[in-house]
Amino acid sequence: MSEASRNDILARLRGTSASATPEQIARKLKALGYAAPARMPSADPRTAFLANVLANKGSAELAADRKIAVQMVGKYLYQRFRTYKLVAGNDPRIAAMPWRDAGVLPRFGAAENGDTAALSYARLAVAETGSVVTYTGRANPGRNNLLPEDHLVLVNTEDLVVSLEDAWQRIRRDQPADHWPRGIQFIAGPSSTADVEAQLVMGAHGPRRWHVILVGDTPPQALVDAVKLAATLT
Amino acid sequence: MEQASAALRDSDKVERRDLLGLFLPLARDAAAERYGDFDALRAHMKRVRSHTMEHLDHYLGQFEETALRNGNQVHYAGNGDEMNNIVLDICQQHGARRIAKGKSMVTEETGLNEHLQLGGFDVTETDLGEYIIQQAGETPSHIVGPALHKSLAEIRQLFLEKHSLGERALEQVTDIVTEARSVLRDHFLKADIGIIGANALVAESGTSMLVTNEGNGDLCANLPPVLIICTTLERILPRAEDAMALQRLLVRSATGQPQTCYTSFYSGPRREDEIDGPLETHIVLLDNKRSDILASDYREILDCIRCGACLNACPIYVGVGGHAYGWVYPGPMGSVLTPLLTSLEESNALPNACTSCGRCAEICPANIPLPDLLRDLRHEETLRKLSPIRWRRGLRVHAWLLGKPRLYHQLTGFLMPLLAWLGRRRGAFHTLPFAGGWTGHRDFPAPQGGTFMKRYQAAQRRKKA
Repeated sequence: MSEASRNDILARLRGTSASATPEQIARKLKALGYAAPARMPSADPRTAFLANVLANKGSAELAADRKIAVQMVGKYLYQRFRTYKLVAGNDPRIAAMPWRDAGVLPRFGAAENGDTAALSYARLAVAETGSVVTYTGRANPGRNNLLPEDHLVLVNTEDLVVSLEDAWQRIRRDQPADHWPRGIQFIAGPSSTADVEAQLVMGAHGPRRWHVILVGDTPPQALVDAVKLAATLT
Repeated sequence: MEQASAALRDSDKVERRDLLGLFLPLARDAAAERYGDFDALRAHMKRVRSHTMEHLDHYLGQFEETALRNGNQVHYAGNGDEMNNIVLDICQQHGARRIAKGKSMVTEETGLNEHLQLGGFDVTETDLGEYIIQQAGETPSHIVGPALHKSLAEIRQLFLEKHSLGERALEQVTDIVTEARSVLRDHFLKADIGIIGANALVAESGTSMLVTNEGNGDLCANLPPVLIICTTLERILPRAEDAMALQRLLVRSATGQPQTCYTSFYSGPRREDEIDGPLETHIVLLDNKRSDILASDYREILDCIRCGACLNACPIYVGVGGHAYGWVYPGPMGSVLTPLLTSLEESNALPNACTSCGRCAEICPANIPLPDLLRDLRHEETLRKLSPIRWRRGLRVHAWLLGKPRLYHQLTGFLMPLLAWLGRRRGAFHTLPFAGGWTGHRDFPAPQGGTFMKRYQAAQRRKKA
């Protein structure tokens, strides 16, 4: 059934398509170029990223280094859940962090139903959309982004790119030839729905809260400016 | 027609649609403005789409190759029945029972749910809007917000009936969302098969892009051991960057957001080093007349990205709602697509419902000339003599008369005051000679006296004086 349909469909498409060699098609495609990114709320990518994270109904903090990030995660967990329980993928970067200093007890592996908080170390942050990019794999099982109540994300300032096109350039650079991760996820906010009475509600099927910690050198003023800018974006 | 009359009688629903028809276009305009040069983005996407459609054989071949290399099984379905049977076969082979489904207009088009349910499977829609209408036994009224026609009170009543969870208030929208979340969480965890659609297919990488806010599609794609992606040929784009450009247009046009919560690219089954994800992935590519449309003068409708902006902008859609269109695709895009996917014989009322106001073409992110395509369908209807003979004769007389402006003005100058005088008491006619078909379903408003030309000339005179 499928084979006959395949041949039939391909034959029909050949009938309507313009004849050209793959090289000619590739040249034409290249000449089309790429689209322009959205207007940035700030010329500084860090400020723009943070403003967009907040506009996406996420929360954000700045950590100068990983030690400080550990303290922030601990404080967040205690304030939200009065526990220090956390699940994280087998990411060597997370494993190497001094969790004991903040009394945090990470469980390494895949998130289960009922887990309150999961932590991911994102591969990239995109200023244009206020999103973080994760690859599925041992370091970050796909379900860790989706099942918990709260999703905490660390991302390094040097992994912050301006546009979605820049993000794809980095993603391509990460892959050995034609070996894509099973899933590449751009996450921009807690899960939400407006399906009832067109009223926006956070926490549809995925996380109810989304907290981003930008790790590295960012002046504190960037976050102050971002809070002001975010108010103008929604 | 009867559906349209019924739709207009339900005043609560009329009010709801009026509000959405006001609010959604404003949200879209604001988002387009914040983006920057949105028209340039639309034009860029148009060029990419035209290029892709021109070489669809090449890109489909490339997609098949890369998708297979990623470990997917790729299936082709010539029509809806074939797609339904392919999916049913996969479910049966796995001895599956429970199926969790993400939002997919393609599976609405093929009636997949009923097919699987007849096969004995337990199918649950997981997008909140789709879940609500599935529980209510209805079809979507909007391609993006399928349950926007339902009030909070109706949904509350539905949930109280369908979920045996005892006494509870369920008075706020947040209560509804929380209840759906906990009920559906169980479905995600227990599902044997996940079924999702695709917003785009990327030829260079064999991946499919999924755009959602709720995260339900991603749960369907990550949790069950088998994933089936139901999609169509024209979703193909050459590069990941092209999918991102489409996504920029889609989110702003659909909901006025700058970015959806989740934009995911899925390439295939679980990799060797992974501890979660589906063990088996299938991609079912449906044609269902799309290759015919590609060869026709209506090919631009294949550029549609299913954002729903033309629905929100259409005075007819806002007036009568999605159910009045009688099939899965409503509004301007549906009025073009439905006659092409079914037949002009069955669906000729749809192109005729258009007032040619042009708002849809102004905002369509894919720059589809929707009013032109609708006019072409009406033209084809006349050429193929599908419209009633009296109608066609009337149009011929009208066309002849328009070629004689003096006679036309004399005739209308005489008829308009007459009609105004006849209809002076009610302001409208219930019946008119030679127009029984028209007045059978609506009143004909009585003229206010004087033709357009007379009023125009009077205004010109006033201006001069």
